[in-house]
Amino acid sequence: MLRLPPFRYHRPVTVSEAVALHLECETGQYVAGGTDLIPNMKHGLFEPPDLISLRRVQELRGVERRNGELRVGAGETLASIATDPLVLEHAPALAAAAGQVAGPQLRNAGTLGGNLCLDTRCTYYNQTRFWREALGFCLKKDGSVCHVTKVGKKCVAAHSADTPPVLMSLDATVELTGPDGSRELPVADLFVTDGIWNSRREPSEVLCAVRIPVRPDRRQGYAKLRQRKSIDFPLLTVAVAADMAGDVVTSVRGVVTALGARPRVLSGWDELAQGRRLDADLIEALAARAHEQCRPLENMIVDVDWRRAMVPVYVRKALAQLVR
Amino acid sequence: MPTLLTAFPDFRQLSDRRGRPWRTSDRPSTPAPGSAHVGQGNGVVRLKVNGDVYEVGVPEHYTLLETLRYGIGLTGSKQGCDKGDCGACTVLADGHPILSCITPVWEAEAFEVRTVEGLADGTRPHPVQDEFDLNGAAQCGFCTPGILCSAVALLDRNQSPTRDEIREALSGNLCRCTGYTKIYDAVEAAAGRLREGAP
Amino acid sequence: MIRPSRSDHRVIGHPQRKIEGLAKSTGRAVYTDDITLPGMLHGKILRSPHPHAEIVSIDTTAAAALEGVHAVITGRDMPVQYGIIPWTPDEYPLCVNRVRYIGDGVAAVAALDEDTANRALGLIDVEYRELPAYLTPQEAAAATTDFIHEPKKPGHNGNVTKRVRLEFGDVDDGLDESELVVEGDYFFEGTTHTPIEPHCAIGLFEGDGKLTVWSATQVPHYLHRELARVLDLEGAKVRVVQPLVGGAFGGKSEPFDLEFCVAKLSMMTGRPVKILYTREEVFYAHRGRHPFHMRYRTGVDGEGKLKAVDAEILLDGGAYASFGLVTTYYAGQLLCAPYALPAYRFDSTRVYTNKPACGPKRGHGSVQPRFAFEVQMDKLAERVGMDPIEFRRLNFIGEDTRTINELRITSNGFLECLEAVERASDWKARFRQLPFGQGLGIAGSTYISGTNYPIYPNDMPQSGVQIQIDRSGRVAVFSGGSEIGQGCDSVVAYIAAEELGVPISHVRVLRGDTDFTPVDLGAYSSRVTFMLGNACIQAARELRAKVQSAVGEAWECPPDRVDLLGGLAVDTADPARSLPIAEAFNLAEARFGTLGATGSYNTPKDVHGEYRGGTIGASPAYSFTAHVAEVRVDVETGIVEVEKIWIAHDCGKALNPVLVEGQMEGSAYMGYAEALMEEQIFKDADHGRAGLHNAPSLLDYRIPTSLDTPAMESFIVESNDPEGPYGAKEAGEGPLHPSIPAIANAIYDAIGVRLDRLPFSPPNVWRRIREAEAGGGLTKPGAPSREVGVAP
Ligand SMILES: Cc1cc2nc3c(=O)[nH]c(=O)nc-3n(C[C@H](O)[C@H](O)[C@H](O)COP(=O)(O)OP(=O)(O)OC[C@H]3O[C@@H](n4cnc5c(N)ncnc54)[C@H](O)[C@@H]3O)c2cc1C
Ligand code: SF4
Ligand code: FES
Ligand code: FES
Repeated sequence: MLRLPPFRYHRPVTVSEAVALHLECETGQYVAGGTDLIPNMKHGLFEPPDLISLRRVQELRGVERRNGELRVGAGETLASIATDPLVLEHAPALAAAAGQVAGPQLRNAGTLGGNLCLDTRCTYYNQTRFWREALGFCLKKDGSVCHVTKVGKKCVAAHSADTPPVLMSLDATVELTGPDGSRELPVADLFVTDGIWNSRREPSEVLCAVRIPVRPDRRQGYAKLRQRKSIDFPLLTVAVAADMAGDVVTSVRGVVTALGARPRVLSGWDELAQGRRLDADLIEALAARAHEQCRPLENMIVDVDWRRAMVPVYVRKALAQLVR
Repeated sequence: MPTLLTAFPDFRQLSDRRGRPWRTSDRPSTPAPGSAHVGQGNGVVRLKVNGDVYEVGVPEHYTLLETLRYGIGLTGSKQGCDKGDCGACTVLADGHPILSCITPVWEAEAFEVRTVEGLADGTRPHPVQDEFDLNGAAQCGFCTPGILCSAVALLDRNQSPTRDEIREALSGNLCRCTGYTKIYDAVEAAAGRLREGAP
Repeated sequence: MIRPSRSDHRVIGHPQRKIEGLAKSTGRAVYTDDITLPGMLHGKILRSPHPHAEIVSIDTTAAAALEGVHAVITGRDMPVQYGIIPWTPDEYPLCVNRVRYIGDGVAAVAALDEDTANRALGLIDVEYRELPAYLTPQEAAAATTDFIHEPKKPGHNGNVTKRVRLEFGDVDDGLDESELVVEGDYFFEGTTHTPIEPHCAIGLFEGDGKLTVWSATQVPHYLHRELARVLDLEGAKVRVVQPLVGGAFGGKSEPFDLEFCVAKLSMMTGRPVKILYTREEVFYAHRGRHPFHMRYRTGVDGEGKLKAVDAEILLDGGAYASFGLVTTYYAGQLLCAPYALPAYRFDSTRVYTNKPACGPKRGHGSVQPRFAFEVQMDKLAERVGMDPIEFRRLNFIGEDTRTINELRITSNGFLECLEAVERASDWKARFRQLPFGQGLGIAGSTYISGTNYPIYPNDMPQSGVQIQIDRSGRVAVFSGGSEIGQGCDSVVAYIAAEELGVPISHVRVLRGDTDFTPVDLGAYSSRVTFMLGNACIQAARELRAKVQSAVGEAWECPPDRVDLLGGLAVDTADPARSLPIAEAFNLAEARFGTLGATGSYNTPKDVHGEYRGGTIGASPAYSFTAHVAEVRVDVETGIVEVEKIWIAHDCGKALNPVLVEGQMEGSAYMGYAEALMEEQIFKDADHGRAGLHNAPSLLDYRIPTSLDTPAMESFIVESNDPEGPYGAKEAGEGPLHPSIPAIANAIYDAIGVRLDRLPFSPPNVWRRIREAEAGGGLTKPGAPSREVGVAP
């Protein structure tokens, strides 16, 4: 059996305790559902001497509607988000995305916070220590070269979480609490292009909640490509949201992920769409614009040309959900 | 009375050998606020499994699966993939299927664990266990404990599942032998028995 | 069920529970890793990080000095070569001076726990000198130096494991005379078994010199022999115990490094030692389906009858021989039914490459050529203008016949299989008539029901069973059969219950232990039901006769008037007269002494051709299968949905129809999985490191979930084989074969695109569709133009 490296296990019950522990341990790492971190630890990708569990922190729980926003606690499991009536009503694309993460058991344990903080993934990285050693390791962990770009000093491992693109398309923000207090950040600003640590969240900060503006005029869509219908990480995820004035688009956003280290916000969509009806022609044009921008890398084992060709297909699928 | 088990030979042996302290009790620093819920001083975990309370001495980095199998001796839950990919280690946490191979054992103090050994009512197997046998739903039987846990979780909330609901509920459990068809048959038959009032 | 079967059986032929069924569903079933022995140590194996290298030196001192480490071994501790095929021993339990793939075992440790063992591995210092690695069979075949194994003769290419060239009839003439010849190149990607249970073994060497090894193996007898040979122990002091096995599919059908290592480590420490593979190690142990590069030329005459088949096959064998000698033969030998081939030639070559060794996977050696051949058949039928099912009927070989390569066919229910799937799928109304994007495909196949020749030449039985009867009415069956999930422990219980008239619950099956069970050669080549079943019938009937005779004596009637059934001995002429079965047993024991009998089965040895290799592929009987697959193809994404597979299989006689259907569905599922997603592939130099397994995990080596797997419907065909137990043949491997070509042919029906390379994963299908579009667009193929005869 693959073994976990040794660690000490801490179980705070409040966010402030968690943050204090993190400060104190120096080398600690938060763990929520553990469905990403624990397998990664079994691969020797993380060896934190201290694990700070967030599962008992009640503050991270709950879904509520307040001040025109939907606030979803980061500790909510994906399974509960997928079936939560408030989420289904105000952020159906989030429910859909959460409901398509991994398989049922993983959704019962995995959390929204963990999904937003998911480590990037790469065929040269998500492997056992033995395998990575035979490879000669890579830039992201224990090594000095990137086997995908071959030259660069940048890791391009794939951001592979299902919910962030949806949250970005819905203009959501995250609440972070760290040793220096709390702050808010648009989800769109949470990610950076560095696959080694692709987040603006400081390691000591707890992601407490996600806030999603409630907009009755907003339509949402979500499409995921994966090879099996369960368990698999996305090969491509597309989230779209359109704000409508009657039949006419006032603004439309598309976010694609599982390409590089951060989700990509599709550019040039508003120019194409503003003031137009959401018809087949417009969908086609938006899909074509998406295709121009998205170039998957060989960070997954799956044919990059095909993945690229699937971008417009899945953009269309997602946009089709907006048509009433 | 909880049973106190210290089944791990390495529990005693490892602590001093490792070059760095790793057991909570050996920790030099005292983590601060509300230290009551910090770490687990003596490495004895208290688990509720199938209605019994066990106190087991385990190394702090053990998973729930390792503790069940090698600590408590409940070997029904299986290990197929090491890391969350196959579902063989599925157990119920307060009735919800989770993967015990990636659950740190300390987390399991927070819920009641039910394993395949806890599905039967004494000597009377759960209807779905019986139907698995009648329908040939277990070939090698290695995926079976995990699948049964997923199936029982489904049947606990829905006694008239459609075939698609069954497929969905079992979609995190890989079976390499059966092609799943006989498993669906068994779950459907068990649902029928439950609807008729079988315990 | 198409053919009526003998209906006077009370147990056989009816749905029954499995004897270990409730143990499995309540978590009580014991598998190897469920066993913990007092004082047990845990072993780990250090593996090579290089695909091909010489071992210059190994320093184990630091590892041995680590507290908690009890023993460290290297290849030099067991310098005896072994191999499952006695003619090709080319492996050491641990590599001695050369490593041949990334993952090859180099050293092993036993320590108090796994963590310490892992740390100890990190302290072993191995110095390697890297050698050029051969990763494709083409490279390996062209090599002139640094062969993966020493050439057997100077001047030979050491990378060639085996080449077989056989010709039956005159193929060149046959092709010349053909009205139409279809030629095709095919590629079958390697796949691996992926049982959900990883390999596990425990060794215990005791002070009296006895060695016991518990192992998740499907060949306890061969393991027994090899342990004794390699470790230089007397066979009589070696015991192999086989707990329940959590799936195998051919992946546990030869000895593996862990079994030798636990034994040796226990011999050194005097303590039990367990090794459990990680999932990653299971991928390195492999022995799965060989990648096959295949070229076929198939000719038909003006009527649509096959004239000649010419095959050229290159097998990518990986680093060791394994069963490769047999695979190389099977690649050609098993193609000669269910269709009559008037002339047939194959040239099949297996080469070594620096990757984990390939071996037997469910449908050993014949799944790959069957894929190619059945696609060829589909192409021919279309060109000839015939419905592909009619085309197959026209070429049916018949029963009680010989194939062109002189294999003896006895019972043959292939036509019934075709009819069953044709009817169930509503073929006639739907083939070539579904809307674009949807399609139906047909394929047929045959498979051996056990191989006539054991792996090491000997004249002893292939299978033996011993039965002992107790005064309580309990029947004990000592069975050497390897229960790997297919139900062979239950089958012997059903047979004992049938013959001796006791309820199944009064039969105990004592199994999986070479100390008290007669030899059975193992669970491979679909031999178990046929051979073990016959052996069991023999033993049971001997006891039955004794009981009948003793009761007859007591009742003063002829013994054949006494029937044993339903827990009673009954007078068939006077049904009012009966005895509880235990009393009948007591009469027999009083009359004959303690009641025990053995039964054995050996294969017929005169049913093959008198040519070199003619014995390979010879079987006492052959199973037959036909599938229809229905697919839906999304031409935009390349995603193929297999909606349903209709499976008809001639298993001779279904001893328990539930188990037979389970084998049929499990096989069809596995074929579907190989068709659509599975690939045991490796990185090349442009992608990280040549020879590294692409993704040794159950996340990235994708096997289908419940949501992916198609609906399946099974039709059991019973041809009642004259030599099979109650007429039974095999059901565990045959039904895999047609899945893959049936799906390929269905995709063609759906979109008019041929897929000659596996797998039909979305990217691969998408590429083929784009090529087809570039070459003139996609259309649904046209309906067959005529019943018989070559299209103009
Ligand atoms: C087989 C398999 C398939 C999967 N498939 C998918 C998939 O299809 N799509 C997908 O998106 N994911 C998938 N996952 C990954 C994972 O299950 C989910 O992303 C899940 O949401 C992670 O949440 P978690 O709570 O388990 O995270 P954890 O593993 O607990 O944590 C992940 C990371 O986030 C950090 N973290 C967690 N919570 C917080 C917080 N509140 N504040 C600060 N940091 C935090 C942790 O320190 C850690 O670094 C899969 C995993 C497996 C094993
Ligand atoms: S993208 Fe490059 S650096 Fe990043 S994980 Fe993959 S190989 Fe390593
Ligand atoms: S063993 Fe836990 S998911 Fe495979
Ligand atoms: S019964 Fe063998 S894996 Fe499911």
